[in-house]
Amino acid sequence: MSELGRLALLLGFICSVFAVGSIAWGLRTGYSGPLRSGRRAVWTVCGLALLAVILLERALLARDMSYRYVAEHTSKDLPLHYAFTSLWAGQEGSLLLWLLILSAYGSAFLFAYRKRLDPFYDAVAMVIAAVMIFFTGLLTFVSSPFRILATPPPDGMGLNPLLQDPGMMIHPPVLYTGYVGFVVPFAFAMAVLLLNRSGTRWIEEVRRWTLFCWGFLGVGILLGARWAYIELGWGGYWGWDPVENASLMPWLVGTGFLHSVMIEQRRGMLKTWNIALIALTFELSIFGTFLTRSGVLTSVHSFAESDIGPWFLSFILISGTAATALILYRKALLESENRMEAMISREGSFLFNNVLFVALTFATFLGTTFPVVSEAVTGTKISVSAPFFNRVNVPIALALLLLTGAGPVLSWKRATASVLKRNFILPMFMGTVAAVVALPFGADGVYTLVCIFGAAFVVTTIVMEFARGIQARRSGETAALPAQVVHLVKKNKRRYGGYIVHTGIVVLFVGVLGSSVFQKEAHAPLKTGDALRIGPYTLTLRGVTERQKQNATLTTAILGVERGSKFVGTEHASKALYSKSQQPMTEVALHSTPAEDLYMILGGVNEDGSASIQAYINPLVSLVWGGGLIMVLGTLIALSDRMRIRREERAGL
Amino acid sequence: MTRIPPGTALAILLLVGAAPPSDAKPRDAAHAITSQLICPCSCGEVLSGCTCETGKTMQGYVENAIKQGKGKDQIVGALVARYGEVIRGAPKPEGFNLVVWIAPFAATLAGFAIAFLVLRRWVKRRAALPSSLGTLAADRGGLSPGRTLEADLDGLRARAEAELRRMRE
Repeated sequence: MSELGRLALLLGFICSVFAVGSIAWGLRTGYSGPLRSGRRAVWTVCGLALLAVILLERALLARDMSYRYVAEHTSKDLPLHYAFTSLWAGQEGSLLLWLLILSAYGSAFLFAYRKRLDPFYDAVAMVIAAVMIFFTGLLTFVSSPFRILATPPPDGMGLNPLLQDPGMMIHPPVLYTGYVGFVVPFAFAMAVLLLNRSGTRWIEEVRRWTLFCWGFLGVGILLGARWAYIELGWGGYWGWDPVENASLMPWLVGTGFLHSVMIEQRRGMLKTWNIALIALTFELSIFGTFLTRSGVLTSVHSFAESDIGPWFLSFILISGTAATALILYRKALLESENRMEAMISREGSFLFNNVLFVALTFATFLGTTFPVVSEAVTGTKISVSAPFFNRVNVPIALALLLLTGAGPVLSWKRATASVLKRNFILPMFMGTVAAVVALPFGADGVYTLVCIFGAAFVVTTIVMEFARGIQARRSGETAALPAQVVHLVKKNKRRYGGYIVHTGIVVLFVGVLGSSVFQKEAHAPLKTGDALRIGPYTLTLRGVTERQKQNATLTTAILGVERGSKFVGTEHASKALYSKSQQPMTEVALHSTPAEDLYMILGGVNEDGSASIQAYINPLVSLVWGGGLIMVLGTLIALSDRMRIRREERAGL
Repeated sequence: MTRIPPGTALAILLLVGAAPPSDAKPRDAAHAITSQLICPCSCGEVLSGCTCETGKTMQGYVENAIKQGKGKDQIVGALVARYGEVIRGAPKPEGFNLVVWIAPFAATLAGFAIAFLVLRRWVKRRAALPSSLGTLAADRGGLSPGRTLEADLDGLRARAEAELRRMRE
């Protein structure tokens, strides 16, 4: 079966090369035959990638230890569902998942545009196929998941205990769907440049594809944060770890693009900038994989390190150089069709918002890579971690929060003094009131106050926008307010979906603020019957138990939790010692309420029999996840807006 | 009265924000130190939240040092002397490390300056457009001639596609 897997990948490589060559020939000669063959080759790669995944999954589920990948990432005592998800536990399997998603995007793209006869869409497919050459090539010649061991071991090395978590079953595929998806906007942009196409229709299509993968990447990032919160046991969810940063960077640039693309659609401006943002987003998504897989930087999320880093770096350099060269070559095509009318306008605010998104990305990129650069220059090893990013990135992010409120209430083209007065006085007032009200509750730092001001400012602007929309449509309507809101959103899903995403961002900011600035922590060694007090909670150790799980020994501290004098429940904080790796893993006990999380960790059992208990109160952490859900809702609403395209198509006909 | 451009206002905000955060209130003296350090084992976690054995030992060391009356600089200095600069969560702002502290803010300010200049140039060019073009644009429903041409191109492409589809059917 391993031969079949290798053959599938080799054929995938050949088909990818064929697709690029055939489509390029068809585009050059104008013959439709080669274009059709190229499209079929892209479909074929998807089928072959699926076959390879099925074959590897079969080996993983059967624990066929003759496969090196299976022996390295599973063991006979590994639960079946984790054997299935071992596909993305290692480098080769992760790359195969990449290829599957990439080729699925290629096929989905061809399916979505199957009725379009414009060769432009073939050019897009050609660029996607070019990326597939890289991944099929890597899997065929450099990092095959179908390598066979000469002497199969009796049992495998087991799965990394950190990956034995339900969150890890869903987080990587969702994240990859986001990462890999950026290939489609990139392919669109490159096709526009290759074919020297003018027109703005493609930009709406790119916006939708970008929004789709941006949404997935955002959800993937949040799932990763949730996994870190539950699994790593340090009381937080975002540690500015290199791999976390790697996923954040394309998301940030993609967010910038989703804003500036509106200027191109409405005003025919910022064309070069938008294409550069699309290319940068794609390159950063490849860079993310490079960081995760190369082993250049240490990360808590990096589970597969090897020597494929130079291949990724070469691909980034080649594709980045090609994109830059094309942008420069087609400079005339990307000339703006309009000019700004006034500095203070929505276009102006979007431009500054883009500067901030790119600056935030640059700060993250620099901080993430600086340890390597610094060591190369000075010879001294340094760390650039959360203490750095909290000082550098937080002020930029807060400036972005303020612009989130300002941008949407500025008019396109020109914001007059009366518009500014009408739209800004109330939000500024509400922001100030919120900051003043928060002062007695301990919110007295610059960052905290700016964040509270910004949150109230943005929410007020959004509420005002909804109110204005409802008022404008109200003539004769007697429906209840919620029905009117729903009606309003349905009428312009893209616009109000965007506002809902903004609301989610604000909620997320408040959650981050609450859970970081107002976090409380306590720790103590407890013997049975001893109590640890933290905030309004009292944790009493009821006892420590030890039991055998399928592939680990679980030591559990049983804690009775009281809030004030009221008993709220019994919680179990555990330490699991996995039999294969002999690595102790924390299993957090979590008592969640909408207002706060009580987060309990068993540090270990001491020689005197006492249990080291560490507890945190993380206020408002539920808003981090809630904000994420609101953002997903807004993204779905914005994505469902098909009316504009239909209108445009009708106008075209 | 001199008007402050929005970019400048944001730049001022960034500079104010660049100062060390005064709201990073440590829960206690030990946390103030451990939250700025990295666990010296390979886990790479910030020391205050680290749950590995090395991390716990280090947290204990910091707490004991505080009890002995040692100051933050003294404790951090001793740890740096033992484990090297790698133990600091943020590099000391000196020498080559200044690059990582200054570059993000310098890039942000440069970005604002460029955006401001570009915007100003565009606004000026717009103002200098011949009035006849403005009239033509107004005649075409507020769109510029270029924009209309683009829309026309899109329309023609869509029409050609529809006709090709019909022919195929």
